[in-house]
Amino acid sequence: MMKRTIFTLISFLAVASASVASDSAIKSKLFTAFAMTKAQQASSLPTDSGIFLQGPGDGAWDRIGPVIQAMNSVASDPSDPSKIFIACGNGIVRSLDNGASWRMVTGWRESDFTKISIDPRNGDNIYAASVWGVSLSRDGGESWQAANKGLAEQYCRCVIVDERNSKRVLLGTDDGVYESRNRAESWTAVRNSPKSNILRMARSGADLDLWIAGTEGEGVFLSKNDGKTWESASSELEGTNVYAVALNPKTASKMAAGGWVAGVWMSDDRGKTWKDRSAGLPSKNVTAMTYDPVHTDRIWVSTFEEGTVFSDDNGETWKDGNLDGAYVLDMDVIPVVD
Amino acid sequence: MFFESNVFKGRSFAGVLCSVLLTVVAFAQQPPEVELSDADLIRQYRERCDYVIDQTVAATDPNDLSRGSSFTIAANLRRGANLDWARQRLRLSNDPPSGAMFWMHPMVLLMENGRGVLNDEDWAFIRELWRTYFPYRGDTENHWIMYYVSLYLAAEMFPDAGAEAWYNGKTSVEIMADAKEYILDWMRITTSYGQGEYDSPNYIEEYTRPMALLVGWAQDSELRQKGNMMMDYILLDYAVENLNGLYGGAHSRVYPRHLLQPSLTAGAAHGWLLFNQGEYLSNGGNIMIALSGYTPPPILFRIATDRDKAYVHRELKRTRWRFRHASSEAYEIDGKSTIPVYKYSYVHPDYILGSSQGGLLQPIQQQTWSLVWREENAKGKSNTMFGIQPFSSPIEGTMYFPSDWDTVTDLIARSKVDYDSEDKLEGGSLYEQVFQHESTLVALYDIPEGTRFPLINTLFSRDVNRRVEDDSGWIFGQGGPVYIAYRPFAAGDWKPVDWTGLLKGGAGAWFSTGFAELSEGSECFVSTSLKNGYIVQIAPVSEYETYADFQDAIRALSVEFDLEPTPSVRYTNLDGVELTARYGETPTIDGKLVDYAEWKLFDGPFAQAERESQTLEMIHGQERYFLDFKNNRVETSVLSE
Repeated sequence: MMKRTIFTLISFLAVASASVASDSAIKSKLFTAFAMTKAQQASSLPTDSGIFLQGPGDGAWDRIGPVIQAMNSVASDPSDPSKIFIACGNGIVRSLDNGASWRMVTGWRESDFTKISIDPRNGDNIYAASVWGVSLSRDGGESWQAANKGLAEQYCRCVIVDERNSKRVLLGTDDGVYESRNRAESWTAVRNSPKSNILRMARSGADLDLWIAGTEGEGVFLSKNDGKTWESASSELEGTNVYAVALNPKTASKMAAGGWVAGVWMSDDRGKTWKDRSAGLPSKNVTAMTYDPVHTDRIWVSTFEEGTVFSDDNGETWKDGNLDGAYVLDMDVIPVVD
Repeated sequence: MFFESNVFKGRSFAGVLCSVLLTVVAFAQQPPEVELSDADLIRQYRERCDYVIDQTVAATDPNDLSRGSSFTIAANLRRGANLDWARQRLRLSNDPPSGAMFWMHPMVLLMENGRGVLNDEDWAFIRELWRTYFPYRGDTENHWIMYYVSLYLAAEMFPDAGAEAWYNGKTSVEIMADAKEYILDWMRITTSYGQGEYDSPNYIEEYTRPMALLVGWAQDSELRQKGNMMMDYILLDYAVENLNGLYGGAHSRVYPRHLLQPSLTAGAAHGWLLFNQGEYLSNGGNIMIALSGYTPPPILFRIATDRDKAYVHRELKRTRWRFRHASSEAYEIDGKSTIPVYKYSYVHPDYILGSSQGGLLQPIQQQTWSLVWREENAKGKSNTMFGIQPFSSPIEGTMYFPSDWDTVTDLIARSKVDYDSEDKLEGGSLYEQVFQHESTLVALYDIPEGTRFPLINTLFSRDVNRRVEDDSGWIFGQGGPVYIAYRPFAAGDWKPVDWTGLLKGGAGAWFSTGFAELSEGSECFVSTSLKNGYIVQIAPVSEYETYADFQDAIRALSVEFDLEPTPSVRYTNLDGVELTARYGETPTIDGKLVDYAEWKLFDGPFAQAERESQTLEMIHGQERYFLDFKNNRVETSVLSE
C-alpha cells in the first residue's frame, strides 16, 4: 500500500505542477474503493461499486472513473496526477486527462489487480499487484508484462515503490514480504518477514525507515530499519487478520491497526504499547484505514458494511463518515488535480 | 486403416434456418429412432430448431412491454415478428443495462439477428450502450469466454470503430485482437489439459452459447471453424455421459434443484434439441443454438443415444485456477495453478454411476459422485443418488476467489445460499476420497475434529423405493430399473431434505424456488462419525429374478473395513472384483494400483484424446470424427472392419 504523507506529497506536487494546466490546483485527497455489499442479498452482485474521492465536507464522496464491478484501488502518477490508474477485476483502467476519458490498458492476460504503485521519479514505471502476481509497465501503462521471478507465491495485495530509491520495490505476498532491488526484474524474500498473507502495508512519511504490515492470522508487524527486518508489534493483535494499518504522516510515533473482530488499536509510542480504540465504532470488523491528508491527526476507519467513521482525538470518539453498507477494499491518499 | 476420408474447413450453417419453413411440429417425446440416416437426423434437428424459435415468438405478448429477454427479441427479429414490441422492449430492458457478460452475449445475438431489421435509431441506441456500459469480465471460466466472444463479435460488426466507440477505450481492431487471442488460448488449454469448469449440467449452456455465436456469426474463418469444433467437443463431453438427456457422473457445478431433479437442467434441454431426448424445455441456450445454424455431426446423436452396451468412460479435467492453498498436487499452466480431476463413469443402458476422486476440485457446487437411472419420463422424478461431506471453509473460498478470509464465506452465501449449511447437497470436501470400478463406488472420509460440519450426507430420494435397512448393515433400495445397495461404515440417522429453515428469509430466489416440492419425500442418511465411509453397489433389476435375490447376493459379499486409525476397506463386488483402499493412499482394483498417471483426456469406446494433444477422436461403430485444433481441421472417416 502506498501511503502518501503531506511531506512526501509536497515534493511531488512541485514536480506535478509543472506538467498540468496552470489554473489547476494539485491536492492530496482521500479515496475509497468499495463495493456496496450490505444490500446484496440473493445475488452475486453488489448493488454498487466504484472509486470515490473525498468531497467537500466531512463524509462527502465524489465518484471518479467508470462504474465497474470489482474496483479495488486507484493510484495517480506523483509526477503528473492527471494520470490516474484504477486497479480492478477487469484489469487496469487509465485516464491521461484527469478522468475525462478512460481506457483499459491491460489485455486478457492481466486481471484482478489489488494495488498500484508508481515510481515517483519516473511515471513510466508502474507496478501493479494482483492475485495472479505482479504486472509491470515501463511505458506509463501502454504495455504490461508479468514480473514474478523469485516469488514463492504469486498472490499479492500490496506493492510500494521506495521513494528514496526507485529501483527498490516492496511487495506483500501470500508468502510474506518480498523485495526487488532492480525494478521488479526479480524478487527476494525479506528476512524475518511474517510468512503469512500480507494484507496491507504502509510506510511512514515522517520516518522513512518505519514500515507497518497487517497480516492474515499473525497480527501486525513493524519494520524500523526500512523494511529489512520485521517483528510482531502487538501481542493484542496476534492471531488476528489485520486488514488495515496506518502511520501518522506527521508524527512517526503514532500509528493504528485494525482487523476482523479486532476493531481499532492505536499506539503513540512507535508500537511499544497499543490501546483499544474500538468503543463507538459501528462494528469491530475493520477493513480499511488511513490518516487524513489535510487534518493529519484525523484517522479514517471503514467497517464491513456498517459505515466509515473518523476520529480527531486519537480514537476516543468517532464521527460518521458515511458509506453505510459499503465493503471498503482500500482507503488511501493520492495526489489529484482539483 | 481408413478407406474414406473427408477433410473440410469453414463449415457454417448460418442462414440455413432462415430458409426453413415455419413449421410448428408437435414434439411429444418419442423413442429414439434407430438407424436414421444422417440426412434424417439433420432434418429432424432443424425442425426442432424451428420449433424453438417459433415457440419463443409465440410466447411473446406484443402488448406486454415488461417481459422479454434479448433472446426473445432476437427470435422475433429473426422471424420479423412483433417488431414494434421488439424495438420498445430493447430500450426498456436496457434502462439501464446490467448483467455484464450475461448482458453481452444475448445483446450480440439480438444485434446479429437485427441486421437488416433494426433501423438507424435502434443501432444508435445499441452503440451508445456499448460506449457507456462497462461490463465486468467476471471470475469464472464461463464468464470469460462469454465476455470475449461477445466482445469480439460486437467489434467485428463495426471493424473500423475507434476507441471512442467502446466502453473500454480500445479500437475495434484492438478489441478483436485481444479477444481472439483469449478465445484461442481457452480452446488450447481445454483441449490440452481439460476444461476447468467441466461437465456441468447447468453451465454447459454458458459454453454452448458463445460457441453458437461463433458458429453463427463470426466472420473470422478461424474463429468460426474452431467455434464449431469446440461446440462439437463440448457436446461430445455431454453426449458420452448422457442417459436419455440426463447428464450423468461427477460435475463441476450443479444447483440443488437440479441435483434433485436432473431433468430440469440446461443439459437436459440441450438433450431434447440436439438429440431428441426427453421433453422440450424453454432454454436460452437452445434459442441461441437454434438461431445460430449450428448442426451437430450425426455421430454425436448416435453416441448420445446408443446405450445398447455398458461401458467405462474416463476423463481428465482440472480444477478451477487456484489463487492460494494450491496444495502439493498442483501443477501450473502458463503460471496458473490447478490440480488434475480424474473422472470415471460407468454408463449402463439403465444408469450412469460416475465419480471424481474427491477433494476440493471446484468451489461451492461440485458433485463428487452421482447415480442417475433411466426413467421413461424423468420429469418430476428425483431419479438420482449422491453423497456429500458438507464442507464450508474460507480455505475453499480463498483458494478460488480473490476475496478476504473473513468475508468470503458470507459473500458466497449471498447468492449460493446453502453454501454455509450442513443441509447442503453440493460441494467438495478436503476430507473425502472416492474411487469406483464399474457399478461399485467406495467413499472414505477422515474428518478432523473442529470441522464446521462434521458429518456426511447420502441422498435417498423419494424415488428410491422399497428401502430396507438390513441386519447385515446394508441398506437396500430400488430406483427405477436399478437395485441399490449402500453399506455405511458408521451409524447414521435419517433426515428429511428440508431447507425450510435456511430459506425462511426468502433467500435464494430461483435458486430455491419450489424447493419444498422438489425435496418433499426425500431423505438423507446422515452420519456424524468423523472416521467414515461407505460402499455403493448398483445392479440392474433385469439381472435378478427378485429383489430378495439381489439382497442375498449382496449379503454374501466380503466386506472388511476399519475406521481407526485411518478408514480403510477391502471389498469384493458382485463381479468378484476386489477393491481396496486406505484413506490418503492410492486404491487398488484386484491388487493393482489405480494408475492416475495414465489417465487420458478422454478414454472410452466413443471418445479418445491424449493429454496435450489438442485433438479429440469420436468413434461410433466404424464411423470416426476427428477434431484437430492444432491444425484447425475436422476429419470424417470410416474405420475398416
